[in-house]
Amino acid sequence: MTKWTSTFLLLLFSQAAVAAEKVVVISSYPQEVISQFEAAFEKKYPQYRIELQWRQSRDAMSYLHQPHSPADVYWTPAQRNFAQLAREGAFRKLDIDLSGLPKRIGGFQISDPDGYYVAHETAGYGMAYHPAELARLKLPVPSDWKTLGDPAFDGHVMLPIPSRVGYAPILIDTMLQGYGWDAGWQVLSRIAANAALADAGATFITDDIGSGRYAVGMTMDFFAVSAIANGKPIRYTYPEKVGYSPAHVAIFKESANPEGARAFVRFVLSDAGQKLLFHPDIRKLPVRPAVYRAKPVDYFDPFAAAARATYDYDTASGLQRQELVSALFDALITRHHAELKAMHRALCKAEQKAPGDARLTAARRHANWLPLDATQVNDAALQQRFIQRNEQSAAIEKQWDADIAMHYAEATRIAQSIAGDLP
Amino acid sequence: MKHCASLLPAALLLAAPAFANDDAIAIHDDTRTAYTQPIPALADADRARFFQGRSLVRQVWVIPPSENRAIAGLGPLYNRISCIACHGNNGRGYAPETADEPMRTMLVRLSVPGKDPHGGPLPHSAYGGQLNENGVPGVAGEGRAEVRYTYRTVKLGGGEKIELRKPTFRFVDLAYGPLPRTLLTSPRIAPPLYGLGLLEAVPASTLVALSSVAKPAGIKGRINFVWDTEKNETVPGRFGWKANMPNLRQQIAGAFIGDMGITSPLFPQENCMLMQTDCAGSPSAGKPELSMEQLAASESYHFALAVPQPRNTTIPQVVRGKKLFEQAQCTACHVPELQTGEFTKYPALAHRTIHPYTDLLLHDMGEALADHRPDYLASGREWRTPPLWGIGLAQKVDPRAGFLHDGRARTLLEAVLWHDGEAASSARIVKRMKPSERRALSAYLESL
Repeated sequence: MTKWTSTFLLLLFSQAAVAAEKVVVISSYPQEVISQFEAAFEKKYPQYRIELQWRQSRDAMSYLHQPHSPADVYWTPAQRNFAQLAREGAFRKLDIDLSGLPKRIGGFQISDPDGYYVAHETAGYGMAYHPAELARLKLPVPSDWKTLGDPAFDGHVMLPIPSRVGYAPILIDTMLQGYGWDAGWQVLSRIAANAALADAGATFITDDIGSGRYAVGMTMDFFAVSAIANGKPIRYTYPEKVGYSPAHVAIFKESANPEGARAFVRFVLSDAGQKLLFHPDIRKLPVRPAVYRAKPVDYFDPFAAAARATYDYDTASGLQRQELVSALFDALITRHHAELKAMHRALCKAEQKAPGDARLTAARRHANWLPLDATQVNDAALQQRFIQRNEQSAAIEKQWDADIAMHYAEATRIAQSIAGDLP
Repeated sequence: MKHCASLLPAALLLAAPAFANDDAIAIHDDTRTAYTQPIPALADADRARFFQGRSLVRQVWVIPPSENRAIAGLGPLYNRISCIACHGNNGRGYAPETADEPMRTMLVRLSVPGKDPHGGPLPHSAYGGQLNENGVPGVAGEGRAEVRYTYRTVKLGGGEKIELRKPTFRFVDLAYGPLPRTLLTSPRIAPPLYGLGLLEAVPASTLVALSSVAKPAGIKGRINFVWDTEKNETVPGRFGWKANMPNLRQQIAGAFIGDMGITSPLFPQENCMLMQTDCAGSPSAGKPELSMEQLAASESYHFALAVPQPRNTTIPQVVRGKKLFEQAQCTACHVPELQTGEFTKYPALAHRTIHPYTDLLLHDMGEALADHRPDYLASGREWRTPPLWGIGLAQKVDPRAGFLHDGRARTLLEAVLWHDGEAASSARIVKRMKPSERRALSAYLESL
């Protein structure tokens, strides 16, 4: 060993090495995803070095709309940004081989029909649950969203608020499209009556399910499935109609290193890149069906699931009405959560006491009242008012609040009257 | 110093008891996320702060200007974009395998001969105290460090052989001029993040006592005295590979500025040297970029990270390995048991019996491991005894996790065999062991 110390301790200095070319990637992926792809890409292409510029969706749009140093690749879960940037002409058409990459999962459009951006992975929506806690509570493993509306789940469910939790808008909208506008809100209302609302913040739904604080949480699959792969005592199940939130990749027109950008895009879509999504710290769903042949045990295959149950989710419509639906959720549920819970408890009691009482119909009509119908929510002018909530939208929301409070109060009053709880 | 003898752990240098940590601060978890769990004693009142701190440690930071002021401040010069980019799952880093591979979980400290006004290393005038490989747009990264290895086979007792690798480093793509021949360098992998609060809660008097007690086989051990930027005074060092940081808060703030270029109340100046004019002209996300509240949340998170309990402690091979560990005098430095004292910063950690396997002292580890770069009182041959608790899970948390300051050791046995200097006698004993004894020793280390 002493031989080494004399021979090799000298540090050498040089400026002659050939520098790797950088590929500038804008993303909001968590570090776990970045680390795996960065290491694998740079190993396969040592001539390139990733320079990752991290920006959340809104910040990224703001950054890209101002003068900035050129970026090569946009690679992130932010569907609306991709759609908008494609409309604005920010991307090059992807001149790479996309064979083996379907543009749809069943009825779900996941890639740009015009070929400016393509899905790199997707995540599905379902339910994380704590088996031991469910067993302790003598509750069944939920098989569908509707299960969570059962009064037996009261106090044991977590429901994310779509205006605050980034992944939640599509979760909510898949329910509204899947069950239909009115029926979907009724399911959501029932679940909300049982649920704690999950806000944005530092805790994950999997923290609360993993600790047994709540028995079931509505969440994206990879949060839970990664936690399971890393040893959390929870499980995950998908409902009958699964919603998806794809993440995409595109090459900027402004790219200073289009060859490097193409190499990166080719890599993330390749068999090797797609299989990285199986990593325990990632657990996203590949968009290349062929790689599911190598999937870990019990890994969800959305293409196989879609073949079993078709579900035509209208992604474009969902994205357009996202803010409006979130605002409606806040009015119907977030801001009136206590009243909503009291109303459903009163209704439940009334139904048990007098199931045939004709007044129940009126009570349910008030409980299920909605400020907007299925046509109004798709009104482009109204949607536009909620893109950035302002004085105009505030005035509308104020009226919703007043109406909702009145209807919930009336439903509660009628139910209590049926149950004999009014003086 | 005889009056300090009563402060020493009873187990020092003697056969140690079963080394389970206090259940309030340790967890039974052998999964890949074992280093990320809160202590069982985490109070409900501290829960929100723990998760806030976790968010900051997991946060990928944004280059200013940005709409997200609270998470902006990366650069102008930086090594990595988040804490967990180096400390994956709160674990340790690793060294690159080849010269092509970037340093993703390790860095190189730089200095020139001399001392700064507080006795610490003197930064290089152009490159500062650490090679920052990356720059924000418009600011050139400082350069890259490439690693290459030479390999040598070492013969062990019982006819076994083991291959050790020795790294050499070379700097390329230097953007701010050549580096002098007199440059002092120290490559360091990222250390794990758990259990640090408990180490801070060990009273300084215990360190004094540990440094004073007579030890076998020429083993010494001394305290590094370092600058505390908040107290504005010199205090015992206990964090970092050379115990060059006095406490967790300064360690964290030092990593934010040194590794990510994020200023904080402790280090409010951007990490630009005088001649780095592009760096100095880059936008900042705030003065400072990391608020005291964020720094405190991050510190609180670190305080509350639990230590994994030892595993498989009753398996005969592990029991045998424990005895061999003691016979090889490893416990003289890797002290199995310590007591925490009063700890008002995080009372849940006070008065706990812990089993960190460190004395937090500096030891001469010999020429082969020397970086020849003094750091406060630590000489180029001295390193702080790294804690061994939880180390058996290191490669479960990250299969590439490396050992020793520069990640040269790919296994715990390799790390043992690199010991020299004050630990030469221990390394000799291990080399002479029968193969089954070395396997038992490794099994014991894996159980920690």
